[in-house]
Amino acid sequence: MKEELIAYIKSELIGDDTMEMNSEDDLLTSGLIDSLAIMRFIGHIEATHEIKVAPQDMVIENFINVDAIADYIQRTKNS
Amino acid sequence: MSEDAVIESELTQSQTLIWTGQLLNPEVPLYNMALTFELNGEIDSSHFQAAFDKLVEGTDALRTTFSNKNGMPKQLVLSKINASTEFIDWAERSIDSQNLEDYLSERSQRNFDLTEVLFDSVLIKTKEDCYTWYFNQHHLITDGWSVTVLYKKMQSLYDASLNGLLEDCKALPSYSNYIAFEQKEREKFQAQSAEDNYWKVQLKHLPVAPTLYACSNTGTRSDSQRISISLGQERSDQLRKLTEAPDLRAWTQHLSLFNIFSTTLFAYLHRVSGQQELAIGTPSHNRLSAGFKETSGLFIELFPIITAITDEESFSSLFKKVQIETFDFLKHATPGAATSELSRGFNVVLNYINATFSDFNGIPMKSDWVHPNHADQAHVMRLQVHDFDDSGVISLHFDVNITVFEEELRNDIPAHFLKVLDAFIKDRTAAINATAMVEAESIVGEQKGLNYKSVVGLFEEQVKQSAQENLIDYQGGKFNFETVNQKANQLANYLTERGLKKGDRVGLYLKRTPQLIVSILATLKAGAIYVPLDTSYSGIRTTDIVEDADLSFLLTTKKLSELINYQQELNCVELDEDELAIQNQSSIYTSSALHEKDLAYIMYTSGSTGKPKGVMISHGALANYISYAAENYKTLNKISTAFFTAIGFDLTITSLFLPIVSGGTINVYEEPENGPDLSLFQVLEENKSNFIKLTPSHLVLLGDKEYPLSKLEVMIVGGEDFKLELGKSIQSKFGENLAIYNEYGPTEATVGCVVHQFDIKKDYTSSVSIGKPITNTSYSILDEVLHPVPKGVSGELYIAGAGLAEGYWNQKELTDNSFINKPFEDGSKIYKTGDLVRLNEVGDLEYLGRIDEQVKISGRRIELGEIESALNRLEGVETSIVELRSKDKTARTVAVENCKSCGLPSSYPNIEFDDNKVCNLCNTFESYQSRVEKYFKNSNDFKALFDRLPRAKDDSYDCIALLSGGKDSTYVLAKLVEMGLKVLAFTLDNGYISEQAKENIRRIVAQLDVAHEFGETPAMNEIFVDSLKTHQNVCDGCFKTIYTLSTKVALEKNIPFIVTGLSRGQFFETRLTEELFWNENADIGKIDKIILEARKSYHRVDDAVNRLLDVSAFKDDGTFEKVQFLDYFRYTDVSLDEMLSFLDKKLNWVRPTDTGRSTNCLINQAGIFIHKKEKGYSNYAFPYSWDVRLGHKTRDASLEEINEEIDEKEVARILEEIGYTEQEENTIEAQQLVAYYVSQSPVEDRLIRSHLEGLVADYMIPVQFIHLEELPISSNGKVDKLALPVPDAIRPITAVGYVAPRSDIEEILVDIWSEVLQIDKIGIYDKFLELGGSSLAAIRIITRANESFNLELPLNLAFSKPTIAAFSEYVRETIMKLLEEMHED
Repeated sequence: MKEELIAYIKSELIGDDTMEMNSEDDLLTSGLIDSLAIMRFIGHIEATHEIKVAPQDMVIENFINVDAIADYIQRTKNS
Repeated sequence: MSEDAVIESELTQSQTLIWTGQLLNPEVPLYNMALTFELNGEIDSSHFQAAFDKLVEGTDALRTTFSNKNGMPKQLVLSKINASTEFIDWAERSIDSQNLEDYLSERSQRNFDLTEVLFDSVLIKTKEDCYTWYFNQHHLITDGWSVTVLYKKMQSLYDASLNGLLEDCKALPSYSNYIAFEQKEREKFQAQSAEDNYWKVQLKHLPVAPTLYACSNTGTRSDSQRISISLGQERSDQLRKLTEAPDLRAWTQHLSLFNIFSTTLFAYLHRVSGQQELAIGTPSHNRLSAGFKETSGLFIELFPIITAITDEESFSSLFKKVQIETFDFLKHATPGAATSELSRGFNVVLNYINATFSDFNGIPMKSDWVHPNHADQAHVMRLQVHDFDDSGVISLHFDVNITVFEEELRNDIPAHFLKVLDAFIKDRTAAINATAMVEAESIVGEQKGLNYKSVVGLFEEQVKQSAQENLIDYQGGKFNFETVNQKANQLANYLTERGLKKGDRVGLYLKRTPQLIVSILATLKAGAIYVPLDTSYSGIRTTDIVEDADLSFLLTTKKLSELINYQQELNCVELDEDELAIQNQSSIYTSSALHEKDLAYIMYTSGSTGKPKGVMISHGALANYISYAAENYKTLNKISTAFFTAIGFDLTITSLFLPIVSGGTINVYEEPENGPDLSLFQVLEENKSNFIKLTPSHLVLLGDKEYPLSKLEVMIVGGEDFKLELGKSIQSKFGENLAIYNEYGPTEATVGCVVHQFDIKKDYTSSVSIGKPITNTSYSILDEVLHPVPKGVSGELYIAGAGLAEGYWNQKELTDNSFINKPFEDGSKIYKTGDLVRLNEVGDLEYLGRIDEQVKISGRRIELGEIESALNRLEGVETSIVELRSKDKTARTVAVENCKSCGLPSSYPNIEFDDNKVCNLCNTFESYQSRVEKYFKNSNDFKALFDRLPRAKDDSYDCIALLSGGKDSTYVLAKLVEMGLKVLAFTLDNGYISEQAKENIRRIVAQLDVAHEFGETPAMNEIFVDSLKTHQNVCDGCFKTIYTLSTKVALEKNIPFIVTGLSRGQFFETRLTEELFWNENADIGKIDKIILEARKSYHRVDDAVNRLLDVSAFKDDGTFEKVQFLDYFRYTDVSLDEMLSFLDKKLNWVRPTDTGRSTNCLINQAGIFIHKKEKGYSNYAFPYSWDVRLGHKTRDASLEEINEEIDEKEVARILEEIGYTEQEENTIEAQQLVAYYVSQSPVEDRLIRSHLEGLVADYMIPVQFIHLEELPISSNGKVDKLALPVPDAIRPITAVGYVAPRSDIEEILVDIWSEVLQIDKIGIYDKFLELGGSSLAAIRIITRANESFNLELPLNLAFSKPTIAAFSEYVRETIMKLLEEMHED
């Protein structure tokens, strides 16, 4: 799942498939992706993982890096 | 410009919108984006110029121009252009910053030619080591972010140039990448269906752009002023600190700040507009990828963020909502999705800019954004939030349209916004309206010192001065002041003798007579309080008042006293009976001393609880009003008033007391014994008065008549909203010399307290304003939490001053709630009027309606007054009332008439009767009767159909005969057998066929020796329920089941015909429509084809039959050829008598008696019951009317059958048995807006609707418009809302909300659908079947549409394109195709 998420970030959000990126890299506070991109990303996650990200879940902690996002998706699917 | 290689491409969606906007305003620089960069250091101008040239070379957006070929724009990227940056050296000219600013401001307003270079750059040396770089671009090629990209690039190019490395510098990424990307995304977006796409869904919920401060919600020109404020360090720090709070924190600090500003903006807009559903526009930057972040060009698109503000909204709760909306906005703001339709919902834009400019290559820089003094006029306000220079201090630019807001208001706007922002910062848990936006202010009328004289004192002065002048003129009899005074003294003496004391309440149950006037004066002289009791009141109301007021005396007459009941112990004085005793009294009386606070009268008004409440008016209040009126309502001669209005209504005080205190005459018009009170006409006819006071509803009664010779000099209009149109028409009827005053005043503030003299030339608002407070009176306009509202914003009117009532008699709590302590001044009282008002631009009060009459539809607050005003602006509409009506209220109470010719009831929709009480169906029938007759054939034609086919062999049949067991089908069966045909009789046992009917069937088939089958289905009850819900009858479902099952049998047994016994009248219910015969050249073959097509659609409609029975055969068109339906009575014309005598002689048919009715089906009456209840007429009324029209039934027989009694108990049992429960939606659908309007002739609904569309929100457009000749009026002369006629059809609740038609084609179709489906408000996305559409309705629609558009549309169009939107698109395409073909020919 994490590879898929990273691939999406690289190609769709940053537009650079060649860049180096790890699952623990900070996405938000680093400014790597902005509010528009994270919301587009959430739209993508909702569509591909068939989950609904509730507004109260839209907090930095859940989306700070790919690890946190994968964890969040797992948790949401299980609940 | 060199025309080197050119790359041509389409425009992006955002570019198209701007391009169009510029095209519409060719002379105005509304899209110029000019920035200045003040550089405080040495700049080498030649290197700067070289760097700039390199910038242009490497930025395709800067080399872009636009062409316009036949309205189709293209963008052209030129490989080279001859444009550079200018350099001006003003170092020697010692110019100051103001000179520079003026120069650049002027330069920023230069218009770009879109076919040329779209930027303008200049480097100005202002003094040694000080430069300003001015850079202006047209928005078509840039946006805020682009400017930062270009600025950064310019820096590095300048640095490279200084170091000789310019040639190595790379170009910026090409904008063409985005053009291609945007196009791809846009196509994806456009391909999405309306349900799937967020923005298409949002479009349906779009609110109207709000009216701020009662100013227009759009500009007339693009002129705009920028008002800039800095939030200051402290506030900026506080805001940044807030972004860390857990409840406000978002993905980024910028997003948190954006959310805070958008929440604040919503709260502010709500408070200055009063609107609850609001949208603001905000840009999506669309620069998702790193590549796009480095590209210059136009990327941004404006999208609406929509939210609904509730009554008790706090900043926190609003923030949460806005945050969720913002998340959704960001999630769905894909390139190319912003449309002009979406933009209609907002007129305020929030532009939160997070771009910053750094030092210029080490040189300190200060940037500024030059406002071109123009902006899109659709945006009345733009709030730009930025910190370009990264200073830590947030700045706000308010770009406000100057054609919308006046200068004073423009300058107040930032302060109002800051009040809200500071309230948010201070305590976000507080309600958004908890802080006042403006300082308290009362509007004060002329203040005169205390100069109190009671009306009694003033009267007695007149008695001395004008003793012989006539005070009363009544039916030819005249009474002068002296006489009246003597009579009043005698009565006062008499009453005192009988025990009347000061402060006692005296009820006056009298008609408008001299007696009444004398009684009032006598009561007041004695220091008692008079309580008027209108003789037209109901007995209960009068009794309530007598008891509530605790009357000690009741003055009446012998005759009237019989009409009044009360338990109260009191002195009842019958003035006529006691006349002698009164006349024997002394005519001298020393009036009681009356202090200001002593009560003069108690006037009862209807309370919201239904129990009348007594308003206590003091002598001080009465005197204050009357003195004002006497001084201001001037007539040339002595005043002569018409006393013709109700005594229990305080409007009448003026006509009564003005002559009393000023020596004039009261012309008394007694109300009639019974029947309507037409005194107003008598007043005008006799033409004795020069002063009249009345309600607008009275004025509407006057109609067209002109009164050029009228003596009236002063007219006071009060008691109701006075509309401009009415004012104009009255002024022209009576001529310019009539002074018309609009007087506003609740009883609680004594007759009139705010007055405006109507000015036909200057008044412009649709409701005539109510003006300014009278002497010693003041008012305030406050919001729900008693804060004053900013000027122009609507709020509740509070009145203070000398005219206030002393409260409600014996109702302390109610008094305390309505007469409150003035919130922001001394301890004096202020009266809460419950009226919604606002101050207009010229400082007059405008009345907007009652607050408690504000209604809500699905949570949206609706101002009925606003809709009425909008409606009244339509030419020809004199007045109107908009009401929220429920279906319960609409239950038919009017007597039903029946057409004298066919018996059709007047409750049948859209039916009209002529003067002879004959319906329009009968009347128009004559015109196409001959064509209808052509549809009918003879028995030879029938036989020929069978002769054409090989006769049935032994084991097969020629036809199926549908046999219900009734007389018609039995007759048909016998006739078919008589013809020698081999028949299979088929009966549907629906579970409710009576035993005797079944006996009939068994007996008949045995007697005729024909094969017989009973069909049945376990789904029957479900089909009944569905039929009741969809068609409000059981027959539709039953018929379809019969057709479906019998067709199946026919297919299995290879039987080519199914013969029905439908009556000719039933043809018009199920097969034919009048429309088919309208055309003079109606072709029967064509009609048959249409009927067949309708039949196919009929069998393919999704309903209970289709879900529960096997209908697969109907998917195949071949089925309709294999099995044909023949209506026997199409070929045979037989009278009822003939038929009955045939049955009697030849067959053992017995009329069933066990149904108790003329039918053989027990469930039938359940269907009739539901149909009558929900539609107001029997489902048999229409087919029977046709039977009568075609001569197959007598009117009496038809009426007898449709009026047969229904056994409601049995119906209830049956309904429960089949599992039918009344639909709950009815209670929701009940709440719908109905407009009643008065005009000379009815106006087409379509015209009214399109008129309203521009003026009010979609959801405020009434469902129905009912034309009235005049409005019903109560005894007080006000509109009697309870007496308004009940509306007809109510729009059903459909899956989607109402969306109005957008084009001419759609409008025509909406009209057709509405007429056919008998629903008044059809939205373009409403589905045909949900609206109750049937195949017959489809025929009607297609026939009418074909006529309107001169086309031949396929019949199934209403099914295959089941919405107006889809249907009209098909029509449009068909027309286009035809046009193209014409061109080709």
